[in-house]
Amino acid sequence: MENSLGKSSSFIRSGEKAEHEAIHHQKIHHHRIGHKHGEGSAIDFYAYASKIRCWNPTFKVVFSFLTLLLCIGLNNPFVSMAVIIGMAFLTVVKGGLPLSAYLSVLMIPLTFILMGTIAIGVDFSSQPAGQFNLFLGFGYVFTSVGKLQEMAFLMLKVFGAISAMIMMTLSTPSAEIIGVLRKAHVPKLIIELMNLIYRYIFILLDVFNNMRNSADSRQGYGDFKTSCYTFGSVASNMLVVSMKKANAYYTAMEARGYEGELVFLEDEKKHQVSHLIIAVAFMLFLMLLGIMTH
Amino acid sequence: MNTSLNTREKRFIAVAAAIALVFGFTPVASAMHIMEGYLPVGFSVAWGVICIPFLIAGYMSIKKTLKENPKTITLLAMAGAYVFVLSSLKIPSVTGSCSHMTGTGLGAILFGPTAVSILGVIVLLFQAILLAHGGLTTLGANTFSMAIAGPFVTFGIFILCKKIKINKHVGVFLAAAIGDLFTYCVTAFQLAMAYPSESGGVAASMVKFLAVFAPTQIPLAIIEGILTVVIIIGLETYAQPELNDLGYLAGGVK
Repeated sequence: MENSLGKSSSFIRSGEKAEHEAIHHQKIHHHRIGHKHGEGSAIDFYAYASKIRCWNPTFKVVFSFLTLLLCIGLNNPFVSMAVIIGMAFLTVVKGGLPLSAYLSVLMIPLTFILMGTIAIGVDFSSQPAGQFNLFLGFGYVFTSVGKLQEMAFLMLKVFGAISAMIMMTLSTPSAEIIGVLRKAHVPKLIIELMNLIYRYIFILLDVFNNMRNSADSRQGYGDFKTSCYTFGSVASNMLVVSMKKANAYYTAMEARGYEGELVFLEDEKKHQVSHLIIAVAFMLFLMLLGIMTH
Repeated sequence: MNTSLNTREKRFIAVAAAIALVFGFTPVASAMHIMEGYLPVGFSVAWGVICIPFLIAGYMSIKKTLKENPKTITLLAMAGAYVFVLSSLKIPSVTGSCSHMTGTGLGAILFGPTAVSILGVIVLLFQAILLAHGGLTTLGANTFSMAIAGPFVTFGIFILCKKIKINKHVGVFLAAAIGDLFTYCVTAFQLAMAYPSESGGVAASMVKFLAVFAPTQIPLAIIEGILTVVIIIGLETYAQPELNDLGYLAGGVK
């Protein structure tokens, strides 16, 4: 259990790894490897490094979302397998992401999936039922082959859906995803807030990092009680700093001619007809597979 | 299979199973995001639709605040980023495992529940994009449990405690902890609706989900309550002007 979240935490890690190698090195002895927090996002870094970043973002978002819907809607283990393989091919082979990195991103939700599927697959009753049961003092915990099969299929479906989603997030930087939402006519206010929040997240992570390091070097995380106190103080100080920064940023925006509308430069990335054809073919294949093996 | 066991052996198995259930799952869960692909399409859409009125209310309230005072745009965005960062930080825990705050409870106390509903959707979307926590199709369900139900309950309890003049910090603790527990119950309910138990329907299934997630979520709610109080004490000591600044954002919560 702990492992999966430990991994998930490692995704909040610096993008500019190489530049910060020295700083990282100092931290590793304190926080276990892969246990770093608040240093930017690794998924964000992978998205910028992806070789399929040059593909049209609208295409990637729509394709990933439709595949996701097909995977959930058809609810068929063969379709799920096809989605898992297809998306892994896109992300790892086409996108050039190391397989180990891909697998560890895929494993982030493992805790939830294991606990959730156990709750679905196992049932309680006062009498023995199903093929496998265990007496627990107050009643029986039981499950059956059918249930176990249902659990396995559900896990396949969830992994299919996740791989479809992370195909998009591991190849499309957030700014481009927000651009797609803007084209989909999400209200301007929401888009503006998203753009600002995305940028502020990294500023606050930086603030937090500095505070954490200075508290850490003064034994601020010595025992549980002190850690709670330090965490609270850092969090409240972070709010104070963020409010101050917010005011300064507004002044800065106004000085640069902000009049209630933020406009960002977006790269024009052309649709490639071959991609469209392959995507449509892939989705038709999924639908056929779903119907044939129904 | 059980008939061959005598009573003592049965009791031993029961105790062993109970221990395994409690300690097998060390408290690691972050706030309980329903993962991508977990809900059937019908439920994903339904929960999304339920969220819409709250989101429209939040949108209108934010729009009004912005019209009165355009400067709040950066403040609001910082609040959103703050909730995101807070929810991505590892909080101290006794067992040395890794858990995270929801952050929306504190957000509701500071910024008011309507603003948090809009900020919550954005934060949840970024959690899916940047951290792979939660998902796109489950965004509606997660928004309802974490950005609407939890914050509204937190805010309600906070105001109630203020009205009946309980010590403010006790009120904050109760508000944050109960809001967190409520989020967890709503999530269990959402999962139970989608996967009802064969023998006992939705209710039995909900008990199962509550039981499976209880060992992680109950300590987490208490820790979140304590941390929220520590944060509020810190803010009261060092950030009175900023709290007053936030007052108009929250609609009079100072």
